Amino acid sequence: MTTSPKTDPTTSPQAAQLRAQRRRRTRLHNFAAYTVLTVIALVMLYPFYWTLITSLEPTGNIYEAKLLPSGVSLKNYAAVLSGTTVPFLRMVLNSVVICTVGVIASVTFAALAAYPLAKMRFPGRDLIFYAILALVVLPNEAGLIVNYITTIKLGLLEQRGPVWDTITQYAAIVLPSVASIIGLFLIRQAYMGVPIELIEAARIDGAKELTIWRRIMLPLSMPTIAAFAILEFVALWNSFLWARILPLDPQMLPLSAGLLELSGTFATNSRATMAGAVLVIIPILIVFASLQRYFMKGIEGAVKG
Amino acid sequence: MSLTRPPLRQSTDTPQSAGRRSRTIRTTLLAYGFMLPFLALLMLYHTWPVIFGTYLAFTKYNIISPPEFVGLDNFRELIKDQQFWSGVVNSLKYLLVVPFIQLLSIGVAMLVNRPLKGISFFRTAYYVPVVTSFAVVGLIWTWMYQQSGPVNFVLMHLGLMQRDSSLLNNPGSALYAVMFVTLWKGIGYYMVLYLAGLQSIGRELEEAAVIDGATRWQVFVNITLPGLRPTILVCSLMSTISAVKVFEEIFVMTQGGPVGSTYTALFFNYAKAFQDFRYGYAAAAGIVVAVISLVFGLINFKMTRGGRVDG
Repeated sequence: MTTSPKTDPTTSPQAAQLRAQRRRRTRLHNFAAYTVLTVIALVMLYPFYWTLITSLEPTGNIYEAKLLPSGVSLKNYAAVLSGTTVPFLRMVLNSVVICTVGVIASVTFAALAAYPLAKMRFPGRDLIFYAILALVVLPNEAGLIVNYITTIKLGLLEQRGPVWDTITQYAAIVLPSVASIIGLFLIRQAYMGVPIELIEAARIDGAKELTIWRRIMLPLSMPTIAAFAILEFVALWNSFLWARILPLDPQMLPLSAGLLELSGTFATNSRATMAGAVLVIIPILIVFASLQRYFMKGIEGAVKG
Repeated sequence: MSLTRPPLRQSTDTPQSAGRRSRTIRTTLLAYGFMLPFLALLMLYHTWPVIFGTYLAFTKYNIISPPEFVGLDNFRELIKDQQFWSGVVNSLKYLLVVPFIQLLSIGVAMLVNRPLKGISFFRTAYYVPVVTSFAVVGLIWTWMYQQSGPVNFVLMHLGLMQRDSSLLNNPGSALYAVMFVTLWKGIGYYMVLYLAGLQSIGRELEEAAVIDGATRWQVFVNITLPGLRPTILVCSLMSTISAVKVFEEIFVMTQGGPVGSTYTALFFNYAKAFQDFRYGYAAAAGIVVAVISLVFGLINFKMTRGGRVDG
């Protein structure tokens, strides 16, 4: 890039010329930028698009590169949804239950625990805060192993009866991810911004701490809480490793873990698995696209903190 | 975390009425009551694994019989374990992803930082791989890499590939094929962080430099990069640690194969625990991996700081 030739800008014809030159250059720059942006977007999105159109094809050469499906049918979707080996609809229900319970529990617990850490004075507060902080840094490579042992020892996978088993297996899947340190820090940060005068006034009026928490802290920190809830939802919906490691009843698997089960079952029919993959992605894309602003805020807050 | 604390009021009062003391006790009880559910779960699923995992590393344990203390035996065996070290080497090879992912993310962040029409569409598009589970992404790319699949189609047409064979089935290329997926999935994540970094620099400085006749390249090197320094520090640290600890993509795409060519350190840890039921040995491997990632994290920290005391 060269700078514009040195001219005396006080003379108007030359100034006009310069302006036109700059306009041309901006247009050229923008065109180049759009070209690069589009190429990157293709690299990022084509794999998803390719999976979608391949899952819609009834037959044909499955893995070849294509821009349009050779035919359209919902055969593969029917195969997945009516699958007897891997109960797809049941896995949808499992994921919904796990995500709902998990998000509500982790938001509630983090929002509760953050309150005294931000707005109360009591012995041991700073000690607890720094101990939690240290946990982020401490290596937790054996986490998976020990949590597995804990889950077995707690008897969460013992068979006692259909209803009881369902509840304990859900608990086994959800519990390890409920206490979210990032969530605690995000919400504590939001509480810090609540004016202490508000709380003091409520205390003088004789309000209970729980009331203050519910009526003042929660409403004023809603944007942060919402951001964290969305992050947590996406993380839970996407997590599969823990559920794959636990010796669960196939009936109990959440979607992301079940999809891998599916790819094992449908090893000869990848199209059905592709249809399953499309069905797993869609809810997340809807959540992400509609709540994007909160989501990004949560990510930035989590890293900046 | 910014460690701002609410100011602690200096207690200057003499031990006063019992009323004050009972209030302090009540406040304390309330505070711990608020924190109880969170702390209980935190102890069980975060603190306990650190303590018990460290202990397990010095034992023989298969869940069925109680742990048997064996001292440093696990570590002695690890040192001689060929498979473990080839896993560590693969995890270190994975560090190759770090510079690529950072450079590309900075480039992409600068691209989407322009006030162009429809730019938010591109930002969203680049972030789609980030919000998709590795379970899905791993499967999609496993299919994309198949023989005569889209990846080979592109590579053959660009003349970068002579023989149509799946990159994932070839021991020489499988690890790099998986690396590309990690790169592809991570760019959007770091892009968002760099975008936040770019927007905190502000345009005034850059515009002033342009007016003073600086070229674009000069502006980038002298203003943008120094301004991004703290972000680069955090991002490259995160990607270094996650590169050494790479696991999920291996688990979904290759399970360590073909011929053990994509066995990584943490995959070894997983296989020892959940395939061979040697929990003590796996925990020992985990500790070694943690130490290695710590060392490389520190090296990275030193390098990106460049000996400066800012950022």
